[in-house]
Amino acid sequence: MGKYEFKVDKSASDFKVSISGTIDEDVDFSPYQLAGATSVEVHLGAVKSINSCGIREWIKWIGTAGSAKVEYFECPKIIVDQINMVQGFLPAQGRVKSFYVPYYSDDSGAEKNVLFTEGKEFTEQGLQTPPVVKDDEGKEMEMDVVEAKYFKFLKK
Amino acid sequence: MNHRGLSIRYKILLLLTLVPLVTLSLYLVLAVRVFESDKLAYVFESGSSLARTLSSQSTTDLNSVLSLSKPVMQEFLLSGSFGPVAKAVFESEGKLDWVAVYSKNPEGKFEKSGIVEKIVGSGDRDILSFQDVTPLLSESLEKGRLLRVPFKDDRILLVERVVNDRSPDVKIFMIMSRLPDLANSFRATSGSEVFLVNDQGFILFGPAGSEASYLSQKMPLDFLASAKEKNLNSGTELVQGGQGKSLLASFSRSNFGELTVISVVDRAEALRAVDILIRRSLVFFVLLLAASVIVSLFASGSLTSALTALASATRQVAEGHFDIRVAVRSRDEIGGLAESFNAMAGEVSRLMGETAEKARMESELKTAQTVQETLFPPTQATMGGLQISGHYEPASECGGDWWHYCEVDGKVFLWIGDATGHGAPAALITSAAKSAATIIERLNVDPAHAMELLNRAIYDVSKGRIMMTFFLACYDPVTKLLTYANASHEAPFLIQQKEGDLKKRDLIPLNEVNSPRLGQERETKYEQTTVQLNAGDRILFYTDGIPDIENPAKDSWGEREFIKSIISTNSSFPPIEESVSTMVAQFSEYRKGAPLKDDITFFMTRCSEDGV
Repeated sequence: MGKYEFKVDKSASDFKVSISGTIDEDVDFSPYQLAGATSVEVHLGAVKSINSCGIREWIKWIGTAGSAKVEYFECPKIIVDQINMVQGFLPAQGRVKSFYVPYYSDDSGAEKNVLFTEGKEFTEQGLQTPPVVKDDEGKEMEMDVVEAKYFKFLKK
Repeated sequence: MNHRGLSIRYKILLLLTLVPLVTLSLYLVLAVRVFESDKLAYVFESGSSLARTLSSQSTTDLNSVLSLSKPVMQEFLLSGSFGPVAKAVFESEGKLDWVAVYSKNPEGKFEKSGIVEKIVGSGDRDILSFQDVTPLLSESLEKGRLLRVPFKDDRILLVERVVNDRSPDVKIFMIMSRLPDLANSFRATSGSEVFLVNDQGFILFGPAGSEASYLSQKMPLDFLASAKEKNLNSGTELVQGGQGKSLLASFSRSNFGELTVISVVDRAEALRAVDILIRRSLVFFVLLLAASVIVSLFASGSLTSALTALASATRQVAEGHFDIRVAVRSRDEIGGLAESFNAMAGEVSRLMGETAEKARMESELKTAQTVQETLFPPTQATMGGLQISGHYEPASECGGDWWHYCEVDGKVFLWIGDATGHGAPAALITSAAKSAATIIERLNVDPAHAMELLNRAIYDVSKGRIMMTFFLACYDPVTKLLTYANASHEAPFLIQQKEGDLKKRDLIPLNEVNSPRLGQERETKYEQTTVQLNAGDRILFYTDGIPDIENPAKDSWGEREFIKSIISTNSSFPPIEESVSTMVAQFSEYRKGAPLKDDITFFMTRCSEDGV
């Protein structure tokens, strides 16, 4: 197995892909052109890392979707950071349907990623964070991000 | 140079010479021993055979003489004189010369009683030449039968004691007979000397000149006595003769009297063939050795010349002449070694070339680093109501990060960017950005417009292959307004002056506007926005290399520790130089000298209380 893996479920108009591994200068999106698709569903839960060269390739690739509806699912923090920072990482017509929010307990050092799903933890009207997130020992955890920065993409 | 031992050429020469020499010498020793043993056995066998033959012949001839003489003797014993029988025998038989008979007179002295001769007077002449026959007759009287060769020719004198049954007188017959065949048999032997001797070692027949002497003068005859004691009729013996000669003696006892035939061969003569074999073998050895030396010289010369060429080539390589090659003249191990040497020299040459190229490139990178360092401003500055303090550390010789500040028409422009990747390609883009910025800042345009111009410059340089995230801000010290545009760069954190502890929520990302990266598209329009600053407010501009700092275990510092570091280093709002140096100390402590994964660039600004 290489550094990355694509699992594609493609129909006439729908393109569904699950991506895992590392997205860097070695990634090759050319077998997965999105031209002609009316909807593109990208599952990113297993992406481990992405660097600036991988971002460049990603933007080129996702740009081939044209006017198709693009939806990102299960975005890990590294993807959310890119969405927030890099203009074009999420196309203008694209939407994040679900993403992970890291939580952390200073007391126990426990970490947890909580999946925020559209319609539950966030809507077009705003964020509805869970009132309390606890670790396995029942201790309260705090959000491990700068909220003003991490949730910025929801205001688009 | 180390002291060298014996040349391999001489080693091969010695090997190829000594091996046949030792082998052939051993073979010669063994062959000589076998041949010598075989020869001695052959000589002994031949001598024994000759001795037996002549012993048998002697017995036959002497018995024949005795048989011829018997009727003559009987006639005398019966009649007291030699009569017709003796006359008939002497007429018919040529072997007998004469027969004389002696007996003792009353005084006890021997008297001739009669004689019969083939030639009248010949017997008496012979007897007269004896001068005194008494000792001979006395001995015969005692022993019974004697044999003598009084004239050293082919005649033999047989002295026979005869006891007459009818008379108490003892008659002693002296019979002179000729045995030329027997005598010649002893004289004519070749390769060995054959003697017919009596029990005292007296030679009756033998090689010319040896008759009538004692064989014991020539060689010891102890073995005869020993053989007699053991009742051996024949045998062989190696004896030491006169003048230190070893003699091979074979003997055969005769059945006539106490006669023995002894065949004697000089051992040195017998083994002369061995000497010839040794001499010829030595000649052959010398020729073989000479041939071996010549072949060895050619072989070792061929071998060592190739090795010498290789050694010479190796020395030249050691002196730095990597283009040297040796000729491959064979397909054996030496040829293989030459091919390997050529391959090695080629590889060394290639590696040296690569090393030189690498050194050249490293030198160029060093130069590029020096040039790039000129692109960065002093890390500490105060201008336009802002205190500025920064830190830059590239991951390799040249980095892809760039930061800058300048004052244009009373306003302070703050620039920070991060090219795709790092190293020389990214450094070239930062160089282009710096060049473009130098021109743009003279135009005194707002950040969005400046960003558009910068984007075109980057795009035209990289053709979309390398991009750059960028954040450009313009601070007006009069209004304390900060106008900024962002090209997908990490949003700086605004930290407003406050009382009490600094919290994470006090970090305000300047992310109200964002646009595509520089170089992504040529005609990108950039948005800008404005934020109001107050005295004491500070802003941290940074690139994404800081959270990516790794320790030796390759664990990232991470955003959480980065945020904690920002809070801790600014919690009491110390001078920004102190904040920057403390943050550097914190991530350096974590990093513990591990290589950087990405360039590290950050700088902090603080609004002065007096505004200007």
